[in-house]
Amino acid sequence: MEIRISNLSKNYFSDGKRIAALANVDVTIPAKQIFTLLGPSGCGKTTLLRCIVGLEVPDTGEIAIGDEVVFSRERNVFVPPERRGLNMVFQSYAIWPHMTVFDNVAYPLEVRGLPNEEIRRRVEGTLKFVQLEGFERRPATRLSGGQQQRVALARALVAEPKVILFDEPLSNLDAKLREETRKELREFLTTLKITAVYVTHDRLEALSLSDTVAVMKDGRIVEIGTPRQIYFDSDRRFVADFIGRANLVEGSVSAAPEAVTVVESPFGAIVCRKEADVSTGTAVAVCIRPEFIQILPGDAGGRPNVFRGRVESLLFVGDACEGEIRVGSALLVARLAATAGVKEGDEVLLHVDPAHCTVLSK
Amino acid sequence: MRHRHPLLTFGLIALVGFLTVCPVFMLVVGSVSEGLEAFGRFTLAKYAQAYTDPAFRDVLLNTAVFTIGSAILATGLALFLAYLNTRTNIPFKSLFAVISIIPMMIPHILFAVSWLLLLNPSNGIINLFLTQVLGLNNSPFNIYSLPGMILVEGLLDLPIAYLVLAPAMASFDVSLEESSRVCGAATLRTLRRITLPVLRPAILASITLVVVRSLASFAVPSVLGIPGRIYVLATHIYQIVATGFAPDYGVAAAVGMTVLVFSIALIYGYRHLTAESERFVTISSRGYRPTTIDLKGARYPLFAIVAFLSCLLILLPVLVLVYTSLVPYTMVPSGRAFASMSWRHWADVLRDPISLLSLKNSLFLGVVGASLGVLLSIFVCYTIVKVKTAASGILESLSFLSFSFPGIVIGVGFMWFFVHTPLYATIGALLIGYIATYLPYGLRPLTSAFIQIHSHLEESSRVCGGGTLYTLRRIVIPLLVPGLVSGWILMATMFVRELSLSVVLSRPGTEVLAVQIFRFAEDGLWGRLSALGIMMIMISTGLVVAASLIGRKLTQVEPADNRRLQVVG
Repeated sequence: MEIRISNLSKNYFSDGKRIAALANVDVTIPAKQIFTLLGPSGCGKTTLLRCIVGLEVPDTGEIAIGDEVVFSRERNVFVPPERRGLNMVFQSYAIWPHMTVFDNVAYPLEVRGLPNEEIRRRVEGTLKFVQLEGFERRPATRLSGGQQQRVALARALVAEPKVILFDEPLSNLDAKLREETRKELREFLTTLKITAVYVTHDRLEALSLSDTVAVMKDGRIVEIGTPRQIYFDSDRRFVADFIGRANLVEGSVSAAPEAVTVVESPFGAIVCRKEADVSTGTAVAVCIRPEFIQILPGDAGGRPNVFRGRVESLLFVGDACEGEIRVGSALLVARLAATAGVKEGDEVLLHVDPAHCTVLSK
Repeated sequence: MRHRHPLLTFGLIALVGFLTVCPVFMLVVGSVSEGLEAFGRFTLAKYAQAYTDPAFRDVLLNTAVFTIGSAILATGLALFLAYLNTRTNIPFKSLFAVISIIPMMIPHILFAVSWLLLLNPSNGIINLFLTQVLGLNNSPFNIYSLPGMILVEGLLDLPIAYLVLAPAMASFDVSLEESSRVCGAATLRTLRRITLPVLRPAILASITLVVVRSLASFAVPSVLGIPGRIYVLATHIYQIVATGFAPDYGVAAAVGMTVLVFSIALIYGYRHLTAESERFVTISSRGYRPTTIDLKGARYPLFAIVAFLSCLLILLPVLVLVYTSLVPYTMVPSGRAFASMSWRHWADVLRDPISLLSLKNSLFLGVVGASLGVLLSIFVCYTIVKVKTAASGILESLSFLSFSFPGIVIGVGFMWFFVHTPLYATIGALLIGYIATYLPYGLRPLTSAFIQIHSHLEESSRVCGGGTLYTLRRIVIPLLVPGLVSGWILMATMFVRELSLSVVLSRPGTEVLAVQIFRFAEDGLWGRLSALGIMMIMISTGLVVAASLIGRKLTQVEPADNRRLQVVG
């Protein structure tokens, strides 16, 4: 179900200072998709999630879930969380320690007063779906972190909510389990075709899990797009830097021919992908991702974007080598093939495809 | 490398074992002996005599009502206060820390006496005032009753209940409630299905602990119960050993067995419940501050209730005692009362040789007893926390055992021991009894201090080149100081006001403050009692202040460059 949020603001008062957790947020969250709110801690993503679910009361604005307005300051509407028909997976999972797995999952159905037979059937079905059959009688505290996470998911799914919200649900798992669970979660959610809003500060999680990513900063949504758009096409420094590792080279636009944009940088002209909105002379940064920096074995062969540099350091990280390469006054981070055969102190020729040089103008 | 120190461990087990097992063992043997002089000659006559006493059934019933009533009152109030403090935006939250600490410094017997002075049926100040103002024929309140005893004991045990409940409430993961709301349950259902069940182990732990405390309580039942002929187990035992021509320590021991068995069972129940409550602390969410409930208009009315409670707990007893110590006899505060004030009672006390002796004895027991107790606690905690062998586990259980000891019962147990030693009727007997009964008060703060000293802190000092002794001096001891100070304070204040053990062990020549106050209460000398009581509070406060000042001096972190500058200059 679609969620429409308009002009939502929320301020906190702490030590006499006003902190804007949300500043006039306008966003429409599409139905039956995984929508991720991504941002550094303190950017307001969790506050926005809690406003949607009803655990937080915004100062201004309106929230509508499907056709129902659940919050409106102007019309003085506030639907409490228990009557919004949503569900949520908490960061701490919030598994009730005094109940068994079955009782935890059955709770939303009991609250709705369903007959016992149906509760049993649906709880069993949901537990089967999240691969927790046979755990019904277990006290909820006697489960591993990953299992607790799945109990929380089952509890959120069992009453077939209109929308399911996730507040950093994987952050308490260790790295390997997190990777597996991420994949599982993606499968569960795409199978169910459910509207999901997912909050995280982990860019890998956002990129791999989402249909749409909204990047937040200082209480605002600064950019919305598919994971690929966010990663490759953003023209914002903050987004390009936050979503992945990036070399940001400062410079100014020197020419804007038909197919490309040329940026004059401290180490020479960089031919970039066409950026329509910038005029000659504008100060910009060029985003070059480390994985797109290539070492040329021999001569340049007339290609654009070839620079001479010196390998300052080289770190073997297993599947690749991470090198810092001094080009003029700039130091570029490059991800090189482990077999590239360069060593510290080598003079090298670098090449970056213009398609992977993005102009950041905002 | 972990040192095992077998000699230290077994030496401590022997010492702590003596302190904790000796009174219990002597109590058991004493209860089946024919008498103090005929120790070990087996008989079941004392049990028969104790449990066929027709009054015993009433004693048991009174005890049950008194302990459970106090537990419910204390826990209910503590739950209310802890909820307000941790979950709402009530103003002046620092007051809650005061409520939970300060009342422990007011001796129980004085607290009970101050309520007696207010609400006794013949000349309680409030009763006098109400009869005069409303023109009543009878006093409206009678503190010499079970409800009166429950009120006073419940207020006295409120801090303990609060200290059990507040951490549980603070570590309560708010998202447990939030997820219930999101699942469709409204506020009341969430309270009933989630909040209270999750807090249940902590609530039961608080009730259990207060039952144990009120079972051991002697001050309230003796000051308020005996005049109203309402006997509980503690005062029943006292009556057997202290009144009449032939005190029967065998019957007392037989009755004491019931108290002891209940106490030990309850304290192990308590231990189980706190473990349970810790198990309920799930992974708590990081980064999100718990939402506080906005009390809106109820903020200040609720705060007024809290302020009123803290007045009842702290200001009222002190004011009543100061007032009573200055007026010639009990009267309603009035112009005439203030005009007739004098230092007469204070002068009487300072001229009374027994009162002076009790001041001296209690001060000695407070200072020397607490110092010895803390010294023993250091070794015991070191063994429990840092040595960690199977034997040190035994040590932990042993030292925990004395936590359940009701003073008067342990006093009877020690009595059976001391009559066979030259320690009988000496101050040394009291010293040993005190340390045995109050050892957990020294152990608890020191255990947490030792746990804080992570072995890496010591190890890194060793790696930096500091030898064992140097590490001990520069790293371990400075980090222990706060624990040492609070352990010493707890023990010293307990010893200065100790009543229930002393009332059995104290003999002519070894009178202590609380016992002397108790004698004044028996004789109805309220003016002298109040004067001596205020002196007692001043001694306690003086010791607390002195210990805190010394502790602060020792823990001051001097900036290193400052010191170097001084050396250079």
